[in-house]
Formats: sequence, structure tokens, C-alpha cells
Amino acid sequence: MTEDDLRAAFARHEPLTPPTGPVRAAIDRLAARRRRRRQRLRVGAAAVALVGVLGVGAPQFRPGQTAVDDGTTLMADPSGAPVGTLNVLLVGVDSASGSRPPLADSVLLLHVPADRSRPYLISLPRDLAVPIPGHGTDKLNAAFVFGAGDGRPDLAKGYDLTRRTVADLTGVRIDAGVVLTYPVLRKLTDAVNGVEVCLPERVRSIHTRRIFPAGCHRLDGAESVDLLRQRRGMPDGALDRDRNAHRYAAGLVRRAGEQGVLTDPVRMSRLLGLVGPELTVSWSGSASLPDLLRVVPALESTEPVGLDLPAGGNGRYLTLDPAATPFLAALREDRLAGWVAANPARVTRLR
Amino acid sequence: MTYEEFADARLAALLRYAVMLTGDPHQAQDLVQETMVRVQLNWRRVARADSPERYVRRMLTNQFVDWRRGSWVRRVLLRGEPDEAVAAPADHAQHTVDRDQVWSWLAGLPRRQRATLVLRYYEDLPDAEIAEILGCAVGTVRSCISRALTTLRTEYAEARP
Repeated sequence: MTEDDLRAAFARHEPLTPPTGPVRAAIDRLAARRRRRRQRLRVGAAAVALVGVLGVGAPQFRPGQTAVDDGTTLMADPSGAPVGTLNVLLVGVDSASGSRPPLADSVLLLHVPADRSRPYLISLPRDLAVPIPGHGTDKLNAAFVFGAGDGRPDLAKGYDLTRRTVADLTGVRIDAGVVLTYPVLRKLTDAVNGVEVCLPERVRSIHTRRIFPAGCHRLDGAESVDLLRQRRGMPDGALDRDRNAHRYAAGLVRRAGEQGVLTDPVRMSRLLGLVGPELTVSWSGSASLPDLLRVVPALESTEPVGLDLPAGGNGRYLTLDPAATPFLAALREDRLAGWVAANPARVTRLR
Repeated sequence: MTYEEFADARLAALLRYAVMLTGDPHQAQDLVQETMVRVQLNWRRVARADSPERYVRRMLTNQFVDWRRGSWVRRVLLRGEPDEAVAAPADHAQHTVDRDQVWSWLAGLPRRQRATLVLRYYEDLPDAEIAEILGCAVGTVRSCISRALTTLRTEYAEARP
């Protein structure tokens, strides 16, 4: 066989070359989509999840106030644990400092049913088009920016507008809420000596090139944050990130459970004290905060059920899926267990 | 030069090059698409290169050779369509069947070796330029080519009765 045979083989296969027109169009389409997604790094929804579940207890901190360092507050008042459903809004924001306004890119609702069977973690897609009080219709994550303002962003105001938007959208009362940042998440993870996260598929970090193989891994704080930032390159983008947040939250709760944090008010208080000063929290008057915390030991299972608010669309904005109507009705009427039983495919697999 | 001008002038040649690398029109299209999306998004950096054409060819070749870094292979593998790698243009003469054996043997080569063969015998580039595209020494290019040719000749000799 000669080199000329090789040249001839290449030349003979030139007709396999696809036409340029469709390729050109596909490139432009893909590039446009990726440009939109590129905008910036976002907070893992995750962040959120954890404190939410860990502690419905987080709301005991006021912005800027340091943590309680003994267990007395948490154990006080054995009488009135709250009854009925509980909804805690978890908002993950990226860097709150610097010149650019923070975006709320992870919005999760932690729902605890009245029977205290188990917590539900519902992610609300950040690109969902929703009416924002006083600002027309825009993406859900814009509510935080509208509220916080540019210049010196006010996280509490950003949270408040997000809360009102979510309350209008879902029709449920928001009992408390937390704003989380990456540093908080990292500290919490390290404080419990790492969290086990079970991934159905390999994830590769576009930020650090770290590879997270499929399967279960114990991640430290830095690794967890890295994982929870990943959105690009995953089949469902931000939705997959929200699901990883669910998995992370489940792992964190398991970990906290193993260490007795959930049932030991002193330990919980110490843990929250670690991150307390950096948390921005808020609550409405319907239940006092130590009372909210009492919900945790009352849960039959702390293993959360991860759900996405059904939404879809290919453009810049997502819209609610027809399936969202019965879902939201079930949420409002505290019938989520039944809804999940009827729609098992919509539950995120956590391990 | 703008991205549009570049695409007008070079897209067809890049697609041909990708077909020679991958041996398959679908994979070639995915490879070119993935590379050109990055070219478009980073056009300013590409345009600053001495020769944007060579820069892009280098991107595409690396994407092909180092499949772990890119995602295109995974998508191709997930496509689930029959592999058309050896579906050459129809010609029923017996010797053509033999010649098209060459095409399937090429598919069996390591990617890097196949890339050097394409650059040398299809693009007709000098060894120095091939070395630059692959980011290796000229000596490495030569040994790569000779090893690839040895493999092909062995296959050829075995296929002869």
C-alpha cells in the first residue's frame, strides 16, 4: 500500500462532506444559546437547601446579629410548637459584594406538611416568567435585583420582593426565609465534616476541572460549592443544578442526623452560630422562631423529597407547565404526598 | 476579519477536514459545530492570532484528539444512529472494495495518528506545520506517521491472500 492509495482514499470520501448551510445555522443557534447562559456564575440552589432543612432553625438570626452560643433559646418554651403547614423560602445569591447587583438564582421552597411526615424541597426555576409586584412580568431571579437595588444592594429588601413574588405565584404563605451565599455553604459543610452526595451522572467542573464521577462521594466545603455551581454542560442546565442541590441537601441532613445535630439543640446552635453572622434571614409573624425550630425533631423523616415546579419552554423565559396547576393546588391544600404518589417520575432521585 | 467572513471563507474546508478526521459526516458536523461555537464566542481572541485559520484548525484538531476534554464524542455516541463510517460512495468494482478497506483501517488508528495522516496526505502540510497544530515536536510527527503507515501496511498485507 502506497501513500498515493491514502491520498486517493481521502479524495474519494470528500463527497461525504455535509453542506455548510445547515451547519452554519446550527452554529449560530448554539452560540446564541450559550451566550445567554454564559452571563455569570450562579449560586447553587443547594446552598439554600441545606440550611432550610437543617434548620428551619436558621430564622432565629436577625441580619447582622451574632448567634446565640448556648442552647437555651432553642430549648425554651416547651409549649407551642407550630401546627399546620410550614413554608420556608430559601434564596441562594451569588457574590453579594462588588459593584454588580446580586442575582437570586436559586429559589427553593421548603415545605413541611401539617402531618410532619417529611420535608419537601421544591425548586422554582430561576428563568420562570412571573409577575413581580410593581415591576411587570420578568424572570423570577430578577425580583431579587429589583428589590435589592444596585449601588449598595440590600439583601433583606431583595429577599422581601422575592418572597412576595413567590407568595403570589404559589398562593402559599411564606413563614420564614433565608438568603444564602457560597461562603456560608462552605463553612456549614466543613462544620459537619463533609457531606455525602450521590450523583446519577458524572459532573465535570467548568471552573476547576474537578471531576465528580457518578456515584456517592463525601465532599468537603470547597468541593460542595464547586459542584453546586455547575450548570453548564449538564443536560438540563439550571434544572440539573437544582437537582444536585436536592441531593446535597439530603446528604447534609443525613450527615447532620448522624452527628446528632438535628436533635441536639446545643450542637445545632453551635453549628448555626458558625454561619449565623453571614446569614440574612427573615420571617413573618405567624410563628415565633424558636417554635419554628421545634419542627425539626417532630419530623418523622428528615429525608427531603426533591421536586421541580413543572415549567418548560425553550426561549429566554420559562412558563408554567399545565401540570403546575394541580401541583400548586396540592401544595396549597397540603396534599403533596398524594401528588408525589401519582407523579413519581417528577421526584428527583436523591441517592 | 469578522467571524462571518471567516465562516464564509473557511467553513467548507473545515467540514472536509473534519470528515477526513472522523470518517463520518455526522461526527464531522458535530465536531465542527462545537469548535465553531467556541470560535464565535471567543472571536476576538481568535482574530488576534497570526493566522485565525490555523488557530481554528488547531482548536478543531485538539478537540478531536483529546476527546476527554470535549463533550462532542459523548453526544455522538448517544446519537444511536448506525455508524456510517465505512459507507463510501457506491462503486461495485472489486478493487474499489479493496481500496475502501483503507478507509475502515483508518478508523482503527489512534486519533492522533489519524490526524497526522490527514494533515500530511489530505491537507498536504509540511511536518513543521503539523507539529505546530498538534503541539508536538517535528520528530514526533514523523514517528507518528511512520507508525500509522506501518499499521496500515500490516493490515494490507494480512488482507491479501
